[in-house]
Amino acid sequence: MNAPVVTARQAGLIGCAQCGKVHRAGAVTCLRCGSDLRPRSAARLQAVWAWLIAGLVVYVPANVYPMLKTSSLGRTTESTILGGVVELMHHGSYGIAGIVFFASIIIPIAKFLAIMFLALSVTRQVRMRHHNRHKLFHVVEFIGRWSMIDVFVVAILASLVQLNFAASIAPGIAAVSFALSVAFTMVSALSFDERLIWDADPVPAE
Amino acid sequence: MSEPKASDMVIEGPRRSFWRNLSVVWLVPLLALAVSLFVAWRSFAERGQLITIRFENAAGIVAEDTTLRYRDVVVGVVESVTFTSDLTSVLVRARVDRNVTDSLPQDAAFWVVRPEVSTTRITGLSTVLSGVYIQMSFEPQPGSSATMFTGLDKTPLVEPGKAGTEITLRASTGSSLTAGAPIFHKGIEVGRIEEPRLLASGDGVIVDAFIDAPHDKLLTSATRFWQTSGISVNIGTGGVNLSIGSLASLVRGGLTFDTVFQGGAPIRPEDVFDLYKDEDSARESVFSDTVDNAVDLAVEFEESVNGLSSGAQVTYKGVRVGTVSSLGAIIEETPEGPTVKLRATVSIDPQRLGLPEDTEPEGVIDFVETAVEGGLRARLASPSIFSQSLVVELAEVPDAEPAALLRRGEDLPLIPTVPSDLPDVAARAEGLLNRVDNLPIEELLEQGISTLASIETLAGDEKLRAAPDAFVSLMDDARGLIGGEETQKLPGEINAAIADLRSVVERLVTADAVGKLTAALDAAGEAAESVTGVAGDVGDATAQLPQLVDDLRALTAKANSLEVEDFLAAASAFLEGADRLIDTPAARALPASLTGALDEAREALAELRAGGVVENTNQTLASARDAAAAVQEAAESLPDLSARIQRLVGEAERVVTSYDSQSTFNRETVSALREVRAAAEALSKLARAIERNPNSLLFGR
Repeated sequence: MNAPVVTARQAGLIGCAQCGKVHRAGAVTCLRCGSDLRPRSAARLQAVWAWLIAGLVVYVPANVYPMLKTSSLGRTTESTILGGVVELMHHGSYGIAGIVFFASIIIPIAKFLAIMFLALSVTRQVRMRHHNRHKLFHVVEFIGRWSMIDVFVVAILASLVQLNFAASIAPGIAAVSFALSVAFTMVSALSFDERLIWDADPVPAE
Repeated sequence: MSEPKASDMVIEGPRRSFWRNLSVVWLVPLLALAVSLFVAWRSFAERGQLITIRFENAAGIVAEDTTLRYRDVVVGVVESVTFTSDLTSVLVRARVDRNVTDSLPQDAAFWVVRPEVSTTRITGLSTVLSGVYIQMSFEPQPGSSATMFTGLDKTPLVEPGKAGTEITLRASTGSSLTAGAPIFHKGIEVGRIEEPRLLASGDGVIVDAFIDAPHDKLLTSATRFWQTSGISVNIGTGGVNLSIGSLASLVRGGLTFDTVFQGGAPIRPEDVFDLYKDEDSARESVFSDTVDNAVDLAVEFEESVNGLSSGAQVTYKGVRVGTVSSLGAIIEETPEGPTVKLRATVSIDPQRLGLPEDTEPEGVIDFVETAVEGGLRARLASPSIFSQSLVVELAEVPDAEPAALLRRGEDLPLIPTVPSDLPDVAARAEGLLNRVDNLPIEELLEQGISTLASIETLAGDEKLRAAPDAFVSLMDDARGLIGGEETQKLPGEINAAIADLRSVVERLVTADAVGKLTAALDAAGEAAESVTGVAGDVGDATAQLPQLVDDLRALTAKANSLEVEDFLAAASAFLEGADRLIDTPAARALPASLTGALDEAREALAELRAGGVVENTNQTLASARDAAAAVQEAAESLPDLSARIQRLVGEAERVVTSYDSQSTFNRETVSALREVRAAAEALSKLARAIERNPNSLLFGR
């Protein structure tokens, strides 16, 4: 069993989040980089939750409303994300259907769950080790920017396929919603201060 | 030992209230929620009303894809296509813009627009690529929001809400009626017809038509519709009538309407117009309006009904009272086996029979029954002598065999028939012409002329004129001996007869044309009667002749016993007496009058020959026959007369011959008597000719 470690916080120190310089508690501005020195607190979790909930809210229309409006020879078809997956499966493109399903459904939902889990783990007892939670946080942060691929595809298609009567593709409401949802979860992940993982449980589990 | 060190610094943030702790970042999810809710609400609000349309089939309709259009603007989309619970029709549920459904009346029309190519138009080409869509058409009625509709099978020809008047036409056949065919008025297309459909009763066709505003104002009860299907050729008594419609109507047919008489009443919605096959029958229809409460009766004919057709008139005393509605053969079982009869169904208009407008069919049948008891019969008749068609005539035949209206339960009551007295005009005219043709007019004329010529020769003969001189003295003697007053009357009677004949001939001459022939013949008849009277008188006179001959014999005996001189003196005296008789003005006038009369008669005959004698009529022929019969009757007495004259002459000849065959007197007398006999023979020849062919007197040979 390791001896208890005195944290900087317990030592009355505060570190700059930008450049890492340690100041005495009470300092307001970093002497080196000039950024604000804020003591971490559970109140910061509010922002995480707020962005997360906003992302969840806009994720609903992103799935309900059509992502793409495809007009071909006078026929207009609107397809939602899930509808598109089903349609791809109907056509036998299970691979692509799987990719779309994974990227557009599994990943965002997993992100929501992960952030939710991390935020909860700050105030509740969880069985996951600090390190793993830290890794999870980094994965979420890394994946976040790639989640925009869906939106990029729609944007590229919509701008490229404009052949008037023969075929044209226009983004639906879901595209905007999805982009917002991704953006909100990224902000949510950014708002999470990973130091809280360590603060919550001063005695690291074995 | 231990150094004092700084005490542990516990940094505690100030406790803040829950609300103070609340971060402003919470506004973001609230905002997101608000926007999402707004979008959701808006899309729900814009989702539109769900309506259900029932179609017979849903060819081409795709759920979530097929659109609903109103005035070619998309107002909704089909949401689902299902069946009714009994699988008899298709239910199409569609979301339609609330702006539209808020004023959607129950009778809104829905139909599926598909590509359609017909003779009249090509429609829906755009749907070849885009797929079908459902077109809706209605007359907006704010406040009414029906949600259950019945779709049309095909594109309606008249879209609901279009200004105009919908009418119903009734036709006997729909063969030349095509849905969409135009309706013209004075050559302008003013409407179109819809699909013809069969009447429930099966004996006609009903077709709805639509007349666009403002032309529908032209419709009145005086409006008649007829078909103008391209070319029609009509050959009739009025010549050849060829009418060609427009090219469009050649292809698809068409109707025309016009107002055929003035003062029509405005039409009512329940009015049904009859569709006539051509303009003529449409215009004639003014006099033959079909009626609603017509009563059907049956008529059976045993004779040929060639010329009778469905639609032929039924007349009662020349007035049209109904129409032959159908015609057919039926087989009837009789004791002798099945026989075929021809049965016509006639529909009678009670009003035309003079019955009140609201007479029940039973009342009409009762009326007809009563009339049948009074002698009413049906028979075929010809409307005019030139017509080959027939009509059914209800005629009162007083001497018809008793019969009654036959009521036969389900079947139509049967009117008894009588054989028709169809005049075979053609045969009759031909017979008349044949008879005229066969008349030996030329021969008769020649014969008459030769007869007259021989009479003239006879009359103009010197010897005949001399004959009286010789004969008269003998007669005078005889008269002096007998003093028969009847003999003296004779010349006057003859003269009067000749005067009568001449007046007849004069009337014949003055009558410049055949038209007066009848009168002339009447007069001739009278004259013949006079002649008969005269002949009677002559007969009377000749009846006295045997007595005279007896006297002559006595005289001859006496003369034989007397001296020749005495006899000669007596004979001279006799001849002088005869001479005096001949010398009377009446006797002198006789040859002249006779010649004049004969001249005039010849003139009359010549005129008759020159004139248009051939234009006979039956009536004239009949009169002529009557007159000829009278002449014949008169002529029958002529042989008698000539026989008697011959007898007398024979007697006289014998007397004179026995007296002296050599004396001049005798020769003269004998030759005179021969002339007289020849004349008598000529008379009897004439009489025979007249007897053989009385008409020859009138018409020549």
